[in-house]
Amino acid sequence: MKIYVCCKHVPDVAMPFQIKEGRLLSEDLNYVLNAYDASSVEAALVLKETHEAEVSLVLIGPDKGKEALRKGLAMGADNAYHICDAAFEGSDSHAYAQILFQFFSDREYDFILCGKQSQDMDMGLTGGMLAQKLSIPYVTNAVGLEVDSEAKSLTVKRQGDLGAEMVQTPFPSIVTCSNDMNDPRIPSLKGIMTSKKKPMEVIDLAGLGLEESQVGSSGSSSAIVSWSLPPERQAGLKLEGDPEEIVTQLMEKLTTEAKVL
Amino acid sequence: MSKILVLVDQKNNQIKKSTFEVLSEARKIADLVGAVVECAAVGTDMSQEASKLFSYGAEKVHVVNHSLFANYLNPAWIQAYQEVVKEVQPRLVMTPTCETSKDFVPGLVSATGACGIMDCCSVKWNGDKIIVDRPLMAAKARSTVESAHPQVLLTIRAGSFDVTQPDPSKSGKVVEREFSPPSILQVFKELLAVSSDRVSLDDATVVVSAGRGVKDAEGFALIEELADSLGAAIGSTRALVESGICEATLQVGQTGKVVTPDLYIACGISGAVQHTAGMSNSKVIVAINKDAEAPIFQLSDYGLVGDLFKIVPLLINAVKELKS
Repeated sequence: MKIYVCCKHVPDVAMPFQIKEGRLLSEDLNYVLNAYDASSVEAALVLKETHEAEVSLVLIGPDKGKEALRKGLAMGADNAYHICDAAFEGSDSHAYAQILFQFFSDREYDFILCGKQSQDMDMGLTGGMLAQKLSIPYVTNAVGLEVDSEAKSLTVKRQGDLGAEMVQTPFPSIVTCSNDMNDPRIPSLKGIMTSKKKPMEVIDLAGLGLEESQVGSSGSSSAIVSWSLPPERQAGLKLEGDPEEIVTQLMEKLTTEAKVL
Repeated sequence: MSKILVLVDQKNNQIKKSTFEVLSEARKIADLVGAVVECAAVGTDMSQEASKLFSYGAEKVHVVNHSLFANYLNPAWIQAYQEVVKEVQPRLVMTPTCETSKDFVPGLVSATGACGIMDCCSVKWNGDKIIVDRPLMAAKARSTVESAHPQVLLTIRAGSFDVTQPDPSKSGKVVEREFSPPSILQVFKELLAVSSDRVSLDDATVVVSAGRGVKDAEGFALIEELADSLGAAIGSTRALVESGICEATLQVGQTGKVVTPDLYIACGISGAVQHTAGMSNSKVIVAINKDAEAPIFQLSDYGLVGDLFKIVPLLINAVKELKS
């Protein structure tokens, strides 16, 4: 089976960050492999344990993005493609989807996995847009994934509005993955060592046959004009002591002050 | 005249509250810029239900009824909406954020060539620009995003807008559309839904939520009792879902549901950002936790420090007494 996993290198949202004068200060940020993509890599590697498969990673990003690819290779992926060009900076989901479409349009694959959204943008558009451009079916928010390589189909357990749904989709398809699907493996020391020898191909704008106008800010249909912090909620009243007393106090507050009961 | 198109979110052919929130805001924007508001509704039988939209400001509702819409597979939704968009040519399309819209919007955006922006909490139409605010970085930050694209499609975060007072004197037109189903390669095998008599998270004005501190199924039963005494929905953290104590549909947070009830009671929840991202816009937050330093107390309007196994039973009794 030929599996591709699309990855993104994103700021670690668990760490503090600063917003100053409407700008995100990105200089001191620690970047990591997007957690949703890490789950996608893990899903591919789990399938590789029971099926003959080649797992290839694809990442659009500046030079430091290769760290995310190294992580995926150390986890056990076979090879990686680093789509890297200064022209790609300022790309929104639409531009990313266009770049990935160009990458995949002359490649063979059984299915493509990617995180359902990136932890920095939380947009969740790229995977589905790519599928639509490639004219292949897509299923999002996967929490479980099984493959029937003979029947050439995937059975996806996804989280929908009414509950969990089981959806079958044929090769080739795109499945976007939730981080609820699995706990991505931590690369072993051996994995880290062997990852250094695994092929990583770097592809630039010209290599993809794209024009500058199709990517970056020019190729985007929206732009972030400023960053801010969400309105802060103030800490309220804290009641300690005898449970009966504090429950009585709470009931009084909820009925007379907050008026929600 | 410019048009705003609202895509209707429905469950069992009943329009969800979130749609009325989005429609209310669409009407306000339309009145400011001088635009027309229309809706599109897909389902197995939406024609009757569609007439509810007029009193909230819709002038026309395009209805697509088909048996295909009984179970969710994106090609049907994408095709149906794409056809309405092609006919209506709206400048702005709005729909509530939910698992369904998060799934079909990417395909619809690509099919129509529109600019898609997900999970917005405010919308402004300023001349040729659509300007939105939206949370990002696990809802720890906000961004202002602009687009001058000729067609913009937004999903709107739950609870971002108020539902206006309905005006029953307003009327409009329901137009039923023909639908030739596209070829669909995906197959819907099964829905593993948990049916419950309890009010759902999407509609509830009161939510009682359980975290790791609830410990086990026995503890969870206590939370259920509190919820039932209040007529509330039940929510949970990811930890509880992972331990198998409750269903994933109850998960509130960054990867679960975003709720904005009048009252949110967090029991045994520490307040990690992945969870609070889903409930921090609740009107009133009550937190019960034995750890006085738990981050949830930074958010709560009323925090009770103590053992929830002592506090919750007392709260249940107090609520029952109040209601009697």
